[in-house]
Amino acid sequence: MRRLIQRLRYWTGRKRTERELAEEMELHRAMRQEELERSGMPGKEAGHASRRAMGNVSVAREDARAIWIWPWLEGLFSDLRFALRGLRRDRAFALAAIAMLALAVGLNATMFTVMNTMLFRGFPLVQENDRLVYIQEQGPSGCCMSYPDFEVWRSQAQAFEGMAFIAERPVTFSDGGESSIRIVPFTVSANTFELLGVQPMLGRDFVSADEGPGAAPVAILNYRFWESRFGKRDDIIGSTVYFDRAPATIIGVMPDGFDFPTQSDIWMPLAHTPELHQRSGLAIFEDPGGFLAFGRLRDGADLDEARAELETINRSLEAEYPETNRRVVPTVKTHSQFFVGQDAPMIYGLLWAAGWFILLIACANLANLVLARTVGRWREFSTRIALGAGSGRMIRRILVESLTIAIVAGALGWWIVNWGVRGWAAATASPYQILDHTVDSGRLAYLVAISVAAAIMFSLAPVGRVLRLGVNGPLRGDARGVTRDPRGKRLAAVTVATQMALAVVLLSGAGVLVRSLFNIVGAETGVRDPENIVVGTLRLPPDRYPSPESRLAYFDRLEAQLTSIPGIDAEALAVSLPVGNRYPRAIEIEGRPSPPDGSEPVGLLAVGPDYFRVVGASAISGRDFNNGDDRPEGLPVAIVNQRFAADFWPGEQALGKRLRAEDGEWRIVVGVVSNIMQGDPLRQQFYPLIYVPFRQEPPPNQRPASFLVRTGVPPDQVMQVVRAEVEQSDSGVTLQDFATLKASFAFNRDRMPLAHAELGKNAAMAPIFAAIALLLAAIGLYAVVAHSINQRRKEIGVRMALGAAAQDIRRMVLGDGMLPVAIGTILGLAASLAVNRVLQSQLVGVSPNDPLTMAGAPVVLILVALLACQIPARRAMKVDPTVVLRND
Amino acid sequence: MPPTHDSLNLLPGTLDLLILKTLTRERRHGYAIAQHLRSTSDNALQVGESSLYPALQRLLLNGWVKAEWGLSENNRRARYYVLTAAGRKKLQTKHEQFEERIAAIRKVLEAT
Repeated sequence: MRRLIQRLRYWTGRKRTERELAEEMELHRAMRQEELERSGMPGKEAGHASRRAMGNVSVAREDARAIWIWPWLEGLFSDLRFALRGLRRDRAFALAAIAMLALAVGLNATMFTVMNTMLFRGFPLVQENDRLVYIQEQGPSGCCMSYPDFEVWRSQAQAFEGMAFIAERPVTFSDGGESSIRIVPFTVSANTFELLGVQPMLGRDFVSADEGPGAAPVAILNYRFWESRFGKRDDIIGSTVYFDRAPATIIGVMPDGFDFPTQSDIWMPLAHTPELHQRSGLAIFEDPGGFLAFGRLRDGADLDEARAELETINRSLEAEYPETNRRVVPTVKTHSQFFVGQDAPMIYGLLWAAGWFILLIACANLANLVLARTVGRWREFSTRIALGAGSGRMIRRILVESLTIAIVAGALGWWIVNWGVRGWAAATASPYQILDHTVDSGRLAYLVAISVAAAIMFSLAPVGRVLRLGVNGPLRGDARGVTRDPRGKRLAAVTVATQMALAVVLLSGAGVLVRSLFNIVGAETGVRDPENIVVGTLRLPPDRYPSPESRLAYFDRLEAQLTSIPGIDAEALAVSLPVGNRYPRAIEIEGRPSPPDGSEPVGLLAVGPDYFRVVGASAISGRDFNNGDDRPEGLPVAIVNQRFAADFWPGEQALGKRLRAEDGEWRIVVGVVSNIMQGDPLRQQFYPLIYVPFRQEPPPNQRPASFLVRTGVPPDQVMQVVRAEVEQSDSGVTLQDFATLKASFAFNRDRMPLAHAELGKNAAMAPIFAAIALLLAAIGLYAVVAHSINQRRKEIGVRMALGAAAQDIRRMVLGDGMLPVAIGTILGLAASLAVNRVLQSQLVGVSPNDPLTMAGAPVVLILVALLACQIPARRAMKVDPTVVLRND
Repeated sequence: MPPTHDSLNLLPGTLDLLILKTLTRERRHGYAIAQHLRSTSDNALQVGESSLYPALQRLLLNGWVKAEWGLSENNRRARYYVLTAAGRKKLQTKHEQFEERIAAIRKVLEAT
């Protein structure tokens, strides 16, 4: 140790030491010269003689330097050479070890990166994301944010360095040409970008004067929009564009990769309209998420402090404005809580833990492999130790070999991380979730750290063996005594059992997650053959269709065009598609007093006359809508679903009853229809629904309408024509979500409640992890069993010679191998009961202790384990006793 | 390489032993060590600088001597070597080993 410190000191002061050495030797020479001169030699000659006597000064200096560094480096290099030679000789071992470790550290580090991104990194390019908090309000009537409340916060709250307000504002955009598109820019407080610490890459930021009333309208472009719409023109600054036909000046372009708070093309200063400043409660904002405030915490302030302060302010607001602010509380969240979900730490923590499970399984495999290799070289090691090599040297050799494997695996793992994170980002990209997916040096440091940690972990067992061996252990006969070491066998059994337990936990976790996903996407929706229904959602430009009459005229034209397409059986309009929004309304039923604080609202959908025919619902009783109903002045009728009839008129005849929505006109129920999934994104229940004729309650301005067509031919044959017809009906209309109804039933995170938005990713990732874990565990089991059979060839030979049948040998091998598997499975099941409970909030329609999963996981595992044992067992049965016994 | 080098390599570690012994009385710089070895052995031991300085570095590394800068007799900056406690102990054992070996060698030589 002291020598190591001395060496380090030498290295750090190397220059000085060499200078000193040179000085010292020069002095030596000079002294000799003086002495020679004193003895009478002429000065010049004395100089030459002294130099001659010194010999080769630089060689001497080299020698002196070598004293310090050479033996150490030499040892290291020789170990490294030894390791490389060994690995090259045992290529199968090297490849298997590197592949397993690369996969494991790559996956682990990928999950670490993903977890970091999801929980801690926040927005790309934004400075000190962890100091930003996102704020909305929650009241009895819903969310999200009231601007007057925000102004009070901004003037009173002490916990913030600054706050800003953000609101969506849908507009039509044109750059002066004929065509206009519908976009949804964000209007933001002028200090928004300053608070984020991001500057426009071109032009200028907003200043407070831009926000004031009467300010000249300005806009800042998103890089993506600048690129796609303006071809990255530098002279864009100062040019004029039109929002809802009103001119505005472009003053800046934000840098590439910047989006805030969700994907958007354009930012504008907050428009201080009278509505914004109205203290009208929260109900005016229909679209949650469209309105929010955020703040940067002052140094020293934390989230809880900010939350407590805003709550206090809101209580005083409640006292001041009881009408609008009754029970309105602020919700203060971090980036991950707001945009990823409250359960994010649990979800991504578990994914990371799964990454560690894989790494542990791989390390157990490697430990067994390295141990088997060490035992295989036992004679060599014994000889070396007997010849005087210290056990320290042996341990260093094992460690250097392990580290060599870890370094190569780490390099491959780094490639996996980059590839994996890119794949993850592409597969999970969502316009509503802006994440920083850059893989930086911190991730590299983590990867290096876990690679080295893994190398040390899987070297522990062989190193321990060398230490126990001591000096007088070896040469006491052949390797048999060592390999039969019961401790080694126990260690192998323990690693196999641990691997199996970890694999069971991952399998059962994956099982319940996948079942949850299937419970959503495979749920009964009440729709027949959704793969033959083509759907689309239409957004009409509001300026061109201001009145309900103009919109109905457009729908007439569109329906005429759609029904004329050959291959189409039926067509219908609807305010919402199956599984989509149910637009709940308070309702009143004739003859029943409405409860004082309003009953549970009920979904009310306006649908065209052929709607039930298109979706394939069966009428239970009464009649369907007809074209006579589907007129603004048509008879006020309604059709309810079975669930509604069962909830509101149990045991009664629903037909002929009357009901109305809020203050609408009274409607007669003319039919009861089978249940169709609506309004529950998790698709776990049928809500009571009221259907009314489409043209009696067409969608209000700004709200989309949908169309559904049932095709008699494969849908891809007509989809092009349908799209063309829609575009031809009016080029200003935006067609969204154009697909078959079946495709629209797929899992879409943006349509899920935030708590379950990540289920799709998890249900996709978990089986991958489980499969890799299972594969690695099976490889590990195979290696252990195969190795033990190799060591026991003689014993097997003796048994066979004594009359054991091949079947007995197989039973013996399987029994040996499967015992730790069984123990591991039981432990794993016990652990999954606990782990799956943590998953509970993610599960849909399945219990954490789902019996099917809990039975299925062990069955899968044991089948795979049997397979892994079977291969070596076969080899054991082929052992020829005569050959084995003669060999001894 | 000067022939003197080999004569000291007769037995491994002999040069180290001699240097340590030279430093028991007082601190010395490199030239003084060489001088001392030469004069006390009546010019029989000529230590070349090319083996003296590496040896000194080795002793430094092992912590048996330490170096300090001082002024030489004619007022030049010189590096003086001082025996450490560990060095004194080492000198003791090295000396004993040396005696044993010499005794062993003598036995072999006298046996014939």
